[in-house]
Amino acid sequence: MSSADSSSGDSLGDATSTYIESQVIMVTVRVIAPFSLTYGLFLMFHGSGSPGGSFQGGAIIGATVLMIAFAFGIEPTRDWIQNRTLVALATGGVTTFAMIGLIPLALGGNFLEYEMYKEEFGIKAKWGLEAIEIGGVAPIVASVVVGLFFLLAAGTMQDSVSEEVSGDE
Amino acid sequence: MISAFEAALFVFVLTTALATALLRDILAVIIVFAAYSLGMALFYAFLLAPDVAMTEAAIGAGVTTLLLLLALVKTSRPDLDYWLERPNISALVVFGALLVVIISTLGEFPAVGTADAPIWENPAVTQYYIENAYSDTHVTNAVTSVLAGYRGFDTFGEAVVVFAAGIATLLVLHREVFTRE
Repeated sequence: MSSADSSSGDSLGDATSTYIESQVIMVTVRVIAPFSLTYGLFLMFHGSGSPGGSFQGGAIIGATVLMIAFAFGIEPTRDWIQNRTLVALATGGVTTFAMIGLIPLALGGNFLEYEMYKEEFGIKAKWGLEAIEIGGVAPIVASVVVGLFFLLAAGTMQDSVSEEVSGDE
Repeated sequence: MISAFEAALFVFVLTTALATALLRDILAVIIVFAAYSLGMALFYAFLLAPDVAMTEAAIGAGVTTLLLLLALVKTSRPDLDYWLERPNISALVVFGALLVVIISTLGEFPAVGTADAPIWENPAVTQYYIENAYSDTHVTNAVTSVLAGYRGFDTFGEAVVVFAAGIATLLVLHREVFTRE
């Protein structure tokens, strides 16, 4: 279909040309999305007791957002998820992980030595491990997956470079 | 002995892998590649590696497929004058030689889940985690205890790599925001 006029490259900068509204996809995603989001959150919070973990959970949460963007259009989803949300999740995740690792170091232990939390603050060692899973890995993975998707999509939408190239031809 | 389900899955994965290599239409390749990832995810689940299966299903079949589709929208699909990739004789010779080497090693693999697999010959490592993971880290999933406990520093490095991938993409695409301000 698109291979016939691929040489012109004129439709590449147009957002509407890449989105086709489909009732089947929209209804399917509307049904599946709550379940996949819940499953992602379950893996994230229950990773220490069952298969899976925060990486898988974060990836599934990110994939749910991608699914919604695929069904309802990338543009509206991109407006819905703000940049500062993604940046806060990614940088906050790295900061949380680093802080939980460095605090035992500051108290004279080793990096990520959870037993120090029990000795100094009376916090169970398990909660340190849970904190880097839930507060560290999962937000980083989810936000980077969503961010990569929107970055790639932005190239197709408001792409001034490709318009200039096609204009020169 | 392998079951009918395993045999069907094996044929499915092999067919989709071959189709990914041989088809020339990029859209068809992306779709077949997603099917291959889904088949591999089922394989991992069958081999009792549910963590790997979940990652393969979410990242391999889901996210990668969508990113490739977006990349396809950004580029163009050239007109095809033939459907299948034409075989390259020298590449086929190398591929055939590699295939012979790999198949010749298959007989040496231990059966799935046997007690005399080489991994059990080093109990200083495997048995240590199985016996001490709960008392050391107080989590019941030994995989999580290794990832976030014993190998926590490695996991920190991996998390930073994922973060760096996002930053690198921003830099490559000359953008300052992921979505919009």
